[in-house]
Amino acid sequence: MSMSKTYHPLVKGLLDGERSLADLPPELRAEAEEAERLLGAVDRTPVSLSPALDARVMAAVRRRAASPVRRAWRRLVEPREFELRLRIRPWIAWGGALAVAAATALVVLGRPSVIPAGGPTPTRVAARDSIYVRFVLYAPGAKRVAVAGTFNQWDQNAAPLVPAGTSGIWTTTLALPVGQHQYAFVVDGQRWVADPGAPAVDDGFGRRNSVVAVTAHAGRAL
Amino acid sequence: MKHAALVLLLVTAIAVPLGAQSDVAARLAGRVPPEVARAVAEIAAGVAARGLPVEPLVQKAVEGGAKGVPSDRVIAAVRALAARLDEAAGALRAAGLSNPDADLVDGTAYALSQGLSAAQVRDLARAIHAPYDAATTLRVAATLSGLGVPPKQTVQLVEGVLQAGDTPDDVLDLPSEVEAGMAHGASAAQAAQGLGHDDTHGRPPTWVPPGHAKKHKP
Repeated sequence: MSMSKTYHPLVKGLLDGERSLADLPPELRAEAEEAERLLGAVDRTPVSLSPALDARVMAAVRRRAASPVRRAWRRLVEPREFELRLRIRPWIAWGGALAVAAATALVVLGRPSVIPAGGPTPTRVAARDSIYVRFVLYAPGAKRVAVAGTFNQWDQNAAPLVPAGTSGIWTTTLALPVGQHQYAFVVDGQRWVADPGAPAVDDGFGRRNSVVAVTAHAGRAL
Repeated sequence: MKHAALVLLLVTAIAVPLGAQSDVAARLAGRVPPEVARAVAEIAAGVAARGLPVEPLVQKAVEGGAKGVPSDRVIAAVRALAARLDEAAGALRAAGLSNPDADLVDGTAYALSQGLSAAQVRDLARAIHAPYDAATTLRVAATLSGLGVPPKQTVQLVEGVLQAGDTPDDVLDLPSEVEAGMAHGASAAQAAQGLGHDDTHGRPPTWVPPGHAKKHKP
């Protein structure tokens, strides 16, 4: 049986050390005590390591770093950041832009139209900036979690969440265009769950969709 | 010449809905049951013939199909959305926007679906001005109403923010501000009432969490 438990935002605040049990309204205290019991069960005994461990690890690191073959291989395959600076005259930029526009027009006009009647489909991604938004769900016991919404055609295979160890926390980060989007989490491919930390509205089918606002300066799962 | 123009008009009037119908059916194939695809295609043909966008109908059907909603409920939701698109276009015309784009009609229909009346949507549409995006602003109002903020208060809140000259990002943040107040135990109306006071984070100045007595001055 799959099981998922999401805590009230105030209880999450308690777990984060932002408030004490006494700060919570009485109806949330049982939930808070249960959450604290779960956390209390985690083994927090200090781990003592052998004093020789540091020396062994560092010796291994130095051996690997000293190998010229490894250094050459890393240079070939590791991703790096490059800063590219161009100095071009304005007429070259305008000419290039015109050429790209002309090429685009040729490509677009040269193929059959798939735009539905009643107006073209809005293509916000092309027109506006995308912002990275992180989605988080606490779903212990879940085998699979995904986020589906207006930004991915409600496709539950398009954006799977990744479990953070065995903590029951699932996360993913998506690039979303600026604006307002509706979404829900899909647990184990069957259960549609609204984000407990976000505003939610009626979806027209008797359920709730969560709403995320992506602003030009910050994206966040509300 | 006159006859040719008439024939062209007739052909266009028939071809647009038929084109929309076949396009919608093709897009829904495999994503919803066949009876839903057929029904939505028919509804979309009527909507396209009235010059309204069909994309919101396709998206609503896809959403229902993905969620495993029974076919009759998906069809009913799409039919209701088609009616709201009509109502939205009428409200926008009343606001002086005779040729709204598809996104604005969709945003307006969403506002109507979340409890705002046609008159409230019309008034709000009139109040929106640059740099605010009309469709986004109406979606924000819809979400506020969907959260439980009374429609009249929703309109006043959004209009107030526009008049105050807050940034478009501030407008987009309104639902999350209300949600933050609600997470602290305030009602949606209370949380909305507290907005504009930056130090209260969506709570009215006099608001205290449930279970905590208000402190009275001696």
